[in-house]
Amino acid sequence: MKIAVCVKQVPSTTAVIRVAADGSRLELAGVETVVGPYEEYALEEALKVREKNAGSTIVVVAVGGEEAGKALTHAYALGVDRAVLIQAPDADAAAAAACAAGFLKAEKPDLVFCGRQAIDDDQWLFPGALGEALDLPHVTAASTFELAGASATCKRRIEGGEEVIEVKLPAVISCEKGLNEPRVPTLKGRLNAKKMKVETKSPADVGVDAAKLAGGLKIERYAPPPEKSPGKRIEGKAAAEAAAELVKLLREEAKVI
Amino acid sequence: MGNDILVLAQHQDGAVKKPTLECLSVARALAAATGGKVLAAALGPGAAKAAADLGAWGAASVLVGEGPALAKYSSLRWTRVLAGAVAKQKPAALLTSTSALSRDLAGRLAARINGVLASDCTKLSAAGGRFTLERPILAGRALVTASHGGDRPLVATLRPNVFGAEKPAQAGACATETLEVTEDAADLRVVVKEVATVKSERPELSEAAIVVSGGRSWGSADGFKPVFDLADALGAAPGASRAAVDAGYVPHSMQVGQTGKTVSPVLYIACGISGAIQHLAGMRTSKYIVAINNDPNAPIFKLADYGIVGDEFEVVPALTAEIKKLKEG
Ligand SMILES: Cc1cc2nc3c(=O)[nH]c(=O)nc-3n(C[C@H](O)[C@H](O)[C@H](O)COP(=O)(O)OP(=O)(O)OC[C@H]3O[C@@H](n4cnc5c(N)ncnc54)[C@H](O)[C@@H]3O)c2cc1C
Repeated sequence: MKIAVCVKQVPSTTAVIRVAADGSRLELAGVETVVGPYEEYALEEALKVREKNAGSTIVVVAVGGEEAGKALTHAYALGVDRAVLIQAPDADAAAAAACAAGFLKAEKPDLVFCGRQAIDDDQWLFPGALGEALDLPHVTAASTFELAGASATCKRRIEGGEEVIEVKLPAVISCEKGLNEPRVPTLKGRLNAKKMKVETKSPADVGVDAAKLAGGLKIERYAPPPEKSPGKRIEGKAAAEAAAELVKLLREEAKVI
Repeated sequence: MGNDILVLAQHQDGAVKKPTLECLSVARALAAATGGKVLAAALGPGAAKAAADLGAWGAASVLVGEGPALAKYSSLRWTRVLAGAVAKQKPAALLTSTSALSRDLAGRLAARINGVLASDCTKLSAAGGRFTLERPILAGRALVTASHGGDRPLVATLRPNVFGAEKPAQAGACATETLEVTEDAADLRVVVKEVATVKSERPELSEAAIVVSGGRSWGSADGFKPVFDLADALGAAPGASRAAVDAGYVPHSMQVGQTGKTVSPVLYIACGISGAIQHLAGMRTSKYIVAINNDPNAPIFKLADYGIVGDEFEVVPALTAEIKKLKEG
């Protein structure tokens, strides 16, 4: 079985994000980056499928700048077979999907795992767009995955319940928390990773016209989340008194209850 | 491309969901700016029933797709049917609310119709042939304002509870048109086999007007009861921090935050939640935030409009009692 995984290197979930004073860009230089947490589930699931299906191989693809190489080194440390970087530092989610699709078209994987969302742009665009470009069905935010021959069964949480989804292979599966417990690379894996070479390609190499990478949303400006003025605080009062005061505020001032 | 605004209605057996009404309100404002009409599409069982409400909320015409081929949600079939509708109607923008359905559908549909996707918008307007929108990125640690104009339709999902829904004083005539849906075996490459719904009297977390959340500090599944009690007294949806979910007090479906649900209620009450950045990611756009915490330095207070510094085990039941008094009084 040929398995592909798409990964993205993103600012860590706790990193403080600064916006340039003129709002023209995010100041990301020096911000700690990590492999996207949902891509960690994708990598783990690929490793599990390979373990259960002798002769399987895993190819990992990242679209991005130099920083994305870190995600691929991490993937090598976990023991994947091949890692490919498509160099497109400014690619938005749609452009990234186009590049990944350009590469995977020729690879013809049976399964493509990716994260449910890249946690930097939070677009939730990639899996569906990739499926569309490859003409493969996609499953969004799978919290379980069971392979049975040429199809797979996944569960997906929806409002007020859960869907059981059956998908025919080849397919794109985007991964949700709870799917598995991602392993951490062993020391041996990390040493091995140093010897492995990341292949690099340009968008043109995978048949994507660089001019087409732009043309989506035009970014006008960035802003930090609005500062809140300090709220009202009820302190040093007995519970009943504090509760009565809060309810009064919610009713008469905020008018929300 | 025309200048109409198409709203994909989300409904349950014909009962239109409130976030869809918000989309219609936004669509009316956009259409006023583009000089177009508000169109709606409703698919699946009950779609015809939903059409009447969609008209009352400002849709000038509703495309209705029902029948066995649309009995269950399918990303490929929905994409095919909606792409057909878009090809015919040529809307300038397609709107729907952010939900499990649109999370699955929007990326694929946008690609199919050569549209440009903006997910989970918190602002959206139109002027001079361009749409301008705002959306949170990096789990709410920054906001981006972006614009879009030109030939490709905008596909925008709107964060529930942010825009507000206003019913037009007078709705014009609403035409309905039946979508002919053909079967295509290729759609069946991915199918929803089963939907297991957890029956609940409580409102759905991601759509609720009020959310009451509890954290790790409640100590156990049984210990969480005061949080449920307060939620029930308020008719609110109960939520939780990841620490409370990981400790097994409550199911993951209740988790608010970066790896859980994003909520944006009118009122969010955090009971014994510290306010970690990943938790804030899921609730920071709530209109009013209340924090109850015994640590005056808990980060959640920075975001709170109202706070009680005190012991949750005393304050939360006292609040429940106070609310009950109010409702009965
Ligand atoms: C990749 C990643 C993703 C994450 N995703 C999420 C997510 O989606 N959602 C999420 O919530 N977290 C998430 N987290 C975890 C997050 O970092 C915090 O660990 C978590 O939110 C803390 O939950 P808590 O506030 O319940 O617990 P704590 O941080 O332990 O806080 C407990 C709070 O209760 C207060 N308290 C204790 N006793 C009382 C009392 N008697 N009365 C009043 N107050 C009391 C304390 O003062 C404290 O503020 C994520 C973390 C990572 C690394």
